[in-house]
Amino acid sequence: MKLLIVEDEAKTADYLHRGLNEQGYTVDVARTGPDGHALALQHDYDVIVLDVMLPEMDGFAVLRAIRTRKQTPVIMLTARDRVDDRVHGLRAGADDYLAKPFSFLELVARLQAVTRRGRVQESTQLHIGDLEIDLLSRKAYRAGNRLELTAKEFALLALLARREGQILSKTVIAEQVWDMSFDSDTNVVEVAIKRLRAKVDGPYEHKLLHTIRGMGYVLEMRGVREAP
Amino acid sequence: MKTSIATRLAVMFAVAALGVFSLVGVALYRVLHRELGRHQLSEVNTRLEYVGMMVGRNDNAVSWQNLRAKLDTLTPADDSVRYWVLGPDPRFVYGDVPAELRERLGAQPGRPFVLELEGRSMRAVSRSIPPKGARPAVQIVTALDSTRFCDTLDTFAGALVVLCLAGVSLVTILGHRIAKVGLAPLSSLSQEAQSLSPRDLSQRLRLSPLPRELSDLVASFNGALDRLERAYAQLEGFNADVAHELRTPLTNLIGQTQVALAKERTATQLEEVLQSNLEELDRLRKIVSDMLFLARADQGETALDRVQASAAEEVSKTVEFLDVILEEAGVSVRVEGDAHASFERSLFLRAASNLLLNAVEHSERGAEIVVAIARRESEMRIAVTNPGAPIPEQHLERLFDRFYRADGARRNSRDNHGLGLSIVKAVAKMHGGTVFATSAEGRNTFGFTLSDSPLAATPGGSSSSPW
Repeated sequence: MKLLIVEDEAKTADYLHRGLNEQGYTVDVARTGPDGHALALQHDYDVIVLDVMLPEMDGFAVLRAIRTRKQTPVIMLTARDRVDDRVHGLRAGADDYLAKPFSFLELVARLQAVTRRGRVQESTQLHIGDLEIDLLSRKAYRAGNRLELTAKEFALLALLARREGQILSKTVIAEQVWDMSFDSDTNVVEVAIKRLRAKVDGPYEHKLLHTIRGMGYVLEMRGVREAP
Repeated sequence: MKTSIATRLAVMFAVAALGVFSLVGVALYRVLHRELGRHQLSEVNTRLEYVGMMVGRNDNAVSWQNLRAKLDTLTPADDSVRYWVLGPDPRFVYGDVPAELRERLGAQPGRPFVLELEGRSMRAVSRSIPPKGARPAVQIVTALDSTRFCDTLDTFAGALVVLCLAGVSLVTILGHRIAKVGLAPLSSLSQEAQSLSPRDLSQRLRLSPLPRELSDLVASFNGALDRLERAYAQLEGFNADVAHELRTPLTNLIGQTQVALAKERTATQLEEVLQSNLEELDRLRKIVSDMLFLARADQGETALDRVQASAAEEVSKTVEFLDVILEEAGVSVRVEGDAHASFERSLFLRAASNLLLNAVEHSERGAEIVVAIARRESEMRIAVTNPGAPIPEQHLERLFDRFYRADGARRNSRDNHGLGLSIVKAVAKMHGGTVFATSAEGRNTFGFTLSDSPLAATPGGSSSSPW
């Protein structure tokens, strides 16, 4: 995946560069609007992450300029999150819109959502270690034993399993599992994860469901190191 | 700048006075003109009668000489009265008849007319005398100098104009003075208003010495001051609350990081610090974005992405989302009634979830929370009731204020920074609705309304405050 970040704030650009690199993206960074515009036209990127407030040429102008030539997916970043800004951005041809301060995980999730479009169908059977999930019959097994999961617990487990190895934030989980598209004040996700963990990991030696403090949750096989 | 009220009034008085004076002046002039004319005419007629009598008696040329002498005597030296006798026989005539007179007599016999003679205008009347003895029929004419009459009229008109102008000026000046005196309470009021200072917000304008017209204005103005004072006090408290809410995570961040950096740490220890910092930062992020949300609602932003949906369905979704929380707290939720309305889904869910969480937080185990949905005309009403300790009236009003907590003591729980109910209020406001809270018979109800028409938004939202 090749990615262009157009961002003038050095710290932001640097951490995005490093973080996304570690997520497996090839990342180019442009510090000004005209640079970003030039790079966007020179190369074929899979996604462009575009800041709105840029020197010389603002994000909307860059976006318009790119759109005259290319249809590369664009995610806009802005410190303002007024609805009309969002409408403005989306009308100008942005594919998604993220308000600062945003969580890095959120950005990764949006990037995946933007690039996932048109991807081939996922398999219906998932295997992670000795965990087996059948998405069609909605059944899960651990070491051959059927796990007794409620519908929501199954949805939660399926989500984590489909995104194996990825950290999922509480916001993403609430949105995907409960269709709650707002930043909730509750610890619903924590409690739900706790219950799921009791069923999935409780009696087993190898823990699969891990908490990354301050970020979210991940389902993966871990070798030597256990979750803190 | 607009002209002052006093000047405007003075100008209006002047215009009115000019109109009235002009009307009266013209009327007086016409009355005088008519009266003087009538008077003159009757004098001319009297003289004509007298002369006519004399001419009528004369029937021979000899006595005509006497008549001429008599007429000479009757004619004053300044020629202000003139007599003429015209006839076919030169023995029986009197006076040099000017050509103009002859013409006029031919044109309108027997009618009074004005004769321009030697530069003066004379009022003349003529009459025919039938023949007698040797004298043929003659025509006699008497004319009276009307110059004096005209002079009088001119003088009168002049005086009238001068007096009118003087009157108008006087009315203007007096009007200005009167207006000033009449408006004196206004200027003293403005002086008093100028003395209001931001240092003492409890200052008000005095109502007692004011005329009725102004007391309403002052009462409204004082009302505005009341609201400002309240808002200001609230803002001050709010600032303190914000500072407190932000300071706690900031203190943790700074302190923890400093401690971590003070000496060599293992990677695990540093990771621990980073993770803890992330939690604090997330808390800050949430407070900031909630406050931004509230600020946008304050600025009058309305819900734009409205969809028509069933409120009960959305509430049920919220209940499903909160299921684990409800189960842990040992409370159940019952949804009563339903109504369709147009609202922004994510906002509605947020408000419903906040209300439910608030109810859960204040319920005992085993309690039942009731969500009642009803429609009243163009309003949809969602009320969440939970059994709980009575809430005093003064708290009820303010529970939707930011950071307001009835218990006073701050519990810095991670997920609750005191903005939950104010977000409900903001959501209601964005949908042109309000919030309400009641406490009776051990049941506390919190809720909000949504209006179907976004334009029906009530400024200020709930009864409690402008926030």
